[in-house]
Amino acid sequence: MKKMLGKRAVSSFVSLMVLIVLVFFLSRLTGDPAALYLPVDASEAMRENFREIHGLNDPVLVQFGRYLSDLVQLDFGDSLRKARPAIDVVLESFVWTLQLALITMALVTVAAIIVGSIAAFNVGRPFDRFASVLSLIGASAPDFWIAIVGIVLFSVNFGWLPTSGTGTVWHWILPICVLFIRPFGLILQIVRGSMINALGSPYVKTARAKGVKNRPVIFVHTLRNAMLPVITVIGDQAAALLNGAVVVETIFGFPGVGKLMIDSILQRDFNVILAAIMVTAIAIFIMNILIDIAYALLDPRIRA
Amino acid sequence: MKQTTLLAGVLLATSALSPAFAQDSGVTIVLGEEPDLVEPCMATRSNIGRIVLGNISETLTELDVRGDEGLKPRLAESWELVDDTTWRFHLREGVTFSDGTAFDAADVKHSFERAGSDQITCEISRYYEGISITPSVVDDLTIDFKTDPAQPILPLLMSLLTIVPSETPIEFTREPVGTGPYVLSSWEPGQSITLERRDDYWGAQPAVASATYAFRSDPSVRAAMVQTGEADIAPSISAIDATTDMDRSYPNSETTYLRIDHSVAPLDDKRVREALNLGIDREAFVGTILADGTQIATAINVPTTLGWNPDTEARAYDPDRAKALLEEAKADGVPVDTEILLVGRTANFPGATETYEAIQSMLSEVGFNVRLQMVEVAEHEQYYSKPYVQDQPILVGAQHDNSRGDPVFSMYFKYHSDGRQAGIADAKADDLIERATAATGDERVALWSELFGYLHDDLVADVLLFHMVGHARVGENVDFTPTIATNSQLQLSEIGLK
Repeated sequence: MKKMLGKRAVSSFVSLMVLIVLVFFLSRLTGDPAALYLPVDASEAMRENFREIHGLNDPVLVQFGRYLSDLVQLDFGDSLRKARPAIDVVLESFVWTLQLALITMALVTVAAIIVGSIAAFNVGRPFDRFASVLSLIGASAPDFWIAIVGIVLFSVNFGWLPTSGTGTVWHWILPICVLFIRPFGLILQIVRGSMINALGSPYVKTARAKGVKNRPVIFVHTLRNAMLPVITVIGDQAAALLNGAVVVETIFGFPGVGKLMIDSILQRDFNVILAAIMVTAIAIFIMNILIDIAYALLDPRIRA
Repeated sequence: MKQTTLLAGVLLATSALSPAFAQDSGVTIVLGEEPDLVEPCMATRSNIGRIVLGNISETLTELDVRGDEGLKPRLAESWELVDDTTWRFHLREGVTFSDGTAFDAADVKHSFERAGSDQITCEISRYYEGISITPSVVDDLTIDFKTDPAQPILPLLMSLLTIVPSETPIEFTREPVGTGPYVLSSWEPGQSITLERRDDYWGAQPAVASATYAFRSDPSVRAAMVQTGEADIAPSISAIDATTDMDRSYPNSETTYLRIDHSVAPLDDKRVREALNLGIDREAFVGTILADGTQIATAINVPTTLGWNPDTEARAYDPDRAKALLEEAKADGVPVDTEILLVGRTANFPGATETYEAIQSMLSEVGFNVRLQMVEVAEHEQYYSKPYVQDQPILVGAQHDNSRGDPVFSMYFKYHSDGRQAGIADAKADDLIERATAATGDERVALWSELFGYLHDDLVADVLLFHMVGHARVGENVDFTPTIATNSQLQLSEIGLK
């Protein structure tokens, strides 16, 4: 298992390095921050001064070298626009995204496994049909639309929930519900399919023939085996959420990392972009390792 | 016991749901864009100015946007010209900063020098470029500004300089100290900013005790927040949402126009430029793609600007005349069939893409060969500012905002041959701009007026389109009328409570 994890860690680390290099050069190809930061009628002297202060006049390779050496010291420099350390800006918003992602994924996982399993047990019956339609709608509806409709219905018309923002538990309900829908629909389908497969497999038939009851069949034999593909998809979906639920964060005014990244890209705030990418990349790197561990725990063949 | 806890919980939850009413005389204002800094010397940037200007920080003078008083005293009680190049300001007595220190002439001098320092990039300083200004303290409450060349509108420029205490370091601050009626009490990045009223403010106590600013980029969410009572004022919502009794429209001082680069054929021909103007049915946009109340523009500045020329008349839609002019130019060998690139900026204003698409189709109908390209802000800037792309004739669709009452903030960089965004290079225009900039009183008004007429009627400098309107939603518990300045500042003292 150690060997497997080591291998995975090394390959993830290599991708991280490639990412660092790519991001630096790509973000510098997209435009001059002085043109965006300063007003349109700023003089060339003001622009020149701005570039000088922020080291944007140095050759790109010099800037890259400085960036690498800062990176080793975990120093991303100051945000161009916010005049404070980029890493602080990013970590502040990352905490919000992390909470949002964890709560959503926990709810999605539990709900999808329960509903998916019941559907698999009742293939072709009304519950299964209903769950399938539900999951199809969930996986295909655009989230910005669901978000706006949610606000109009539950905040404006019924007055049950706040429209947006943070501050109370109630503020979390709409964003989590909107984020919940798509991964729920997707994972529900995987659980269902995977359970149907597992239920039809020889070892379940053998167990049943030996008179094992339904509950141990599901929990001891079927679920554990059916979980392997499900975990992969859960990992995928969680990674997407960690990258920032841009649409949901933007509409609900949630101060998460996705919204921060988009804003920073539009403002060419390089240091924040780099810090945000590094933080999310490391988070995804850690999550991949956790998924590998979960895999190994569930399937002894992988441990070997 | 259990029941009491439950009840308390429910009450707590309900009160948390409506932060607007959480405390007496507090208001919540929902804005589209969070400021990256709350730095007084950046207050000319609208997302910062809306929070800082007149609330945390004050200026020596201020422009009256509600009445017709023109330039009013604020931290300066009066000002006068001592000689041709020196302005003297007499400062208000008994003013203190929110940190308790007294306000005096040394603070003004430091604020001016800090804003112009090359160690930080303060946005205010761009308004003072090209003029050498030397402040000198006469006594605690008197300060002189010596300018070179003479600067007739220095008192107006002083309405932009926010005053900070002389102890403020020359680096961006996150804890602004000012003389204004409010002080920054909390800032949770990404979520909210709160200002509290000061007890020791020198002027009249405003009605609003505290203001919480929330930030939502989606205009319909901002509108919904006022509707549900979560916020009291949303200064900018989209025209589509502005359908309730709570919504007010106001001129937002933005002018939409197509900038023409006169140096490239066929746009160097006046007949072609005139045909561009005649070929667009401006009336057709108002109340359809653009909101009702949108005005047709005859100048880059709104009619309330000094010297705005009432005699210039918008060119009425006349496709036949446009076609005839194009034919005439073609007969003279002007390459009118050359493809013209129309560059628009996506999301520049609600309906931007639709507006430019309609313009493209109208121009094509009268015989122009126009290709539309919608670009995002950074790319737009490459077309909009010098050096220009020279390989083909280009029309740049853009907006210009000048709510400061004097054309000087627009004319040089839009129409002077050295201006960064000028499409023309015309000796007479240059001369008028230079003379008007240096003139005072009636002479200044007359020169600006002449320039407005010359640009529109004689030169056909550009395709002026619309003076835009914005929409605000104001909740039932507050009394607030948006003005032309609401885009760039929102003084809490102008909000009444019902």
